[in-house]
Amino acid sequence: MSKQYGYLALFESAPAVYHAAQSVREAGFKKWDVLTPFPIHGLDGAMGIKRSKVPVFTLCGGVIGFITGMLTAWYMGQFDYPLIVGGMPFFSPIFPFPVAYELTILLAAFGTLGGMFITNRLPMHYHPVMNYDKFRHLTDDKFAVVIEAEDELFSETETREFLESLHPVEIAVISDEEDE
Amino acid sequence: MSSDKKSIQFLIGGLILIALSVVGLFVGSEADPSRPFIGWLLGISFWLSILIGMLFLVMIWWMFDSGWSVIVRRQLEHAISAFPYLAIIFLPLILLSLFSSDGGQVPWIWMNSEAIVPGGHGTVAEDSLYVAKSGFLSQSFFVVRYVIYFCVWSGLAYFFRKWSFNMDKTGDHVNVHRSRKLAAVGLFLCAFATTFAAFDWFKTLNYHWFSTMYGVWFFAACMRAALSATVLSLFYLATREDRLKGIVKPVHFYMIGCLMLAFTVFWAYISFSQYFLIYNANIPEETFWYNMREMNHDGSKNSWWWVSLGLVFFHFFVPFIYLLWYKNKFVMRIRVVAIWILVFHLLDLYWNIVPQELATDSHGGYTVRQFGVHFVDITMLLGVGGVVIWAFLKSAAKERPIPIRDPRIEESINCHE
Repeated sequence: MSKQYGYLALFESAPAVYHAAQSVREAGFKKWDVLTPFPIHGLDGAMGIKRSKVPVFTLCGGVIGFITGMLTAWYMGQFDYPLIVGGMPFFSPIFPFPVAYELTILLAAFGTLGGMFITNRLPMHYHPVMNYDKFRHLTDDKFAVVIEAEDELFSETETREFLESLHPVEIAVISDEEDE
Repeated sequence: MSSDKKSIQFLIGGLILIALSVVGLFVGSEADPSRPFIGWLLGISFWLSILIGMLFLVMIWWMFDSGWSVIVRRQLEHAISAFPYLAIIFLPLILLSLFSSDGGQVPWIWMNSEAIVPGGHGTVAEDSLYVAKSGFLSQSFFVVRYVIYFCVWSGLAYFFRKWSFNMDKTGDHVNVHRSRKLAAVGLFLCAFATTFAAFDWFKTLNYHWFSTMYGVWFFAACMRAALSATVLSLFYLATREDRLKGIVKPVHFYMIGCLMLAFTVFWAYISFSQYFLIYNANIPEETFWYNMREMNHDGSKNSWWWVSLGLVFFHFFVPFIYLLWYKNKFVMRIRVVAIWILVFHLLDLYWNIVPQELATDSHGGYTVRQFGVHFVDITMLLGVGGVVIWAFLKSAAKERPIPIRDPRIEESINCHE
């Protein structure tokens, strides 16, 4: 069984795909993407993509790390096994600071990495666009706009006409067929 | 012509305020005659720290062949022309230390061999810690070092300015190569000069103390002050039709904002590490420096306790959280945090320079000089500021607003994230 994943419009140059992306955004599509072999500056702005949510994961990781470091020192030094070391108090926020600080950085880094995986929905071993016969060109010298069939504004005829109005090199139907 | 007039007004205003400060020097109290001179030191240190940070930034940008910063660099080149004037304004402190070191007015107590130092077993001359450090802490060497520091700063500033302005006129790339080579050497020279200046002028106010991190603290403080001052001056210039209007873009503020965040963390890292090591080692020769910033002789909390907490929360924590946000690195929001950091940078200088154990008897009794704003603090801050702004405007009126023939000028103007 295979069903239509969406339309792909192929472009020859970065400016062409940049302007096409602006048109698609203005047309109001939500479920669509641009495929390029290299990062294009300002493309996220042209596509209307908001800033990444990854910093939220980083902040959460950092705060959890800091609290973990302080709690560890408090649990061991004051709660579980109080021991006088060098005349210092059982717990103070000062001496466990390096531990809390290191854990802040460590868990913030984990949060960043994990957040990047979650927001990008990685790992992703299969994507319907891979079925496109010129897919390899998209990692080399060609650019593409893909509009998914699941988009609310999608219609088989009108979306095709809309993409043709952007003057792509070609338009291909992408089908979602996973080999059993 | 009008900008010339304006800059002269700053010079005249500055000189009047400095003259007022000279009058203020003679109104110190009997118990604490050196306090007005501390104010003199404070006023210079605030502006000097900004200029030192700017000199470091110029050299770092040359060193890394940085592209985005080229149009910002030119503004800093204007500002660092003020080093020689600061050397002149510093002179009264040097003359005082040479000719009147036993009068009790000189801020550096080690210059007065008759002075009684709390915790020092008698006078300075009898103090074993002074005797051990006397090779470094001699008045003539102190003056020589003052000359060396200002020669290093003024000299580096002179050459970076000269070659950068030459580049505008001739377009000869040898100017760029020279600047990059000098930056490689100059970073070391400036690092040494800044470190030892912090030792000489701030740390030896309590010469018993030991801390190897002190120079790095001053470097971090300088960088924060310089970046904040850069933001404010860029805002001023970006409103001027004949200056940087339409040239400075939000992205330049974003880049500086990132550096501000980095140096906020760095300042906290250094300041905390210094405290942390002394706290853990718990040796009286080191802890007394922090003790007087927390409590009086009898153990009761003093005014510096609140200043200390203010630095932790408002000089680190608030700017740190604030600058983490992407949107806070643009337009009005970064201007707010730049002013904030400069205010607390000044408080940080107060905290480092002003506290002092003032001996009340010869048996180790003392009172701590409390936090307070002296008349000379204010007049010197504004007065030196007037002179620095005059030097900036004077240089800016003479040279082009951006280095038009710099090889990376296009990259800087079309800078993006």
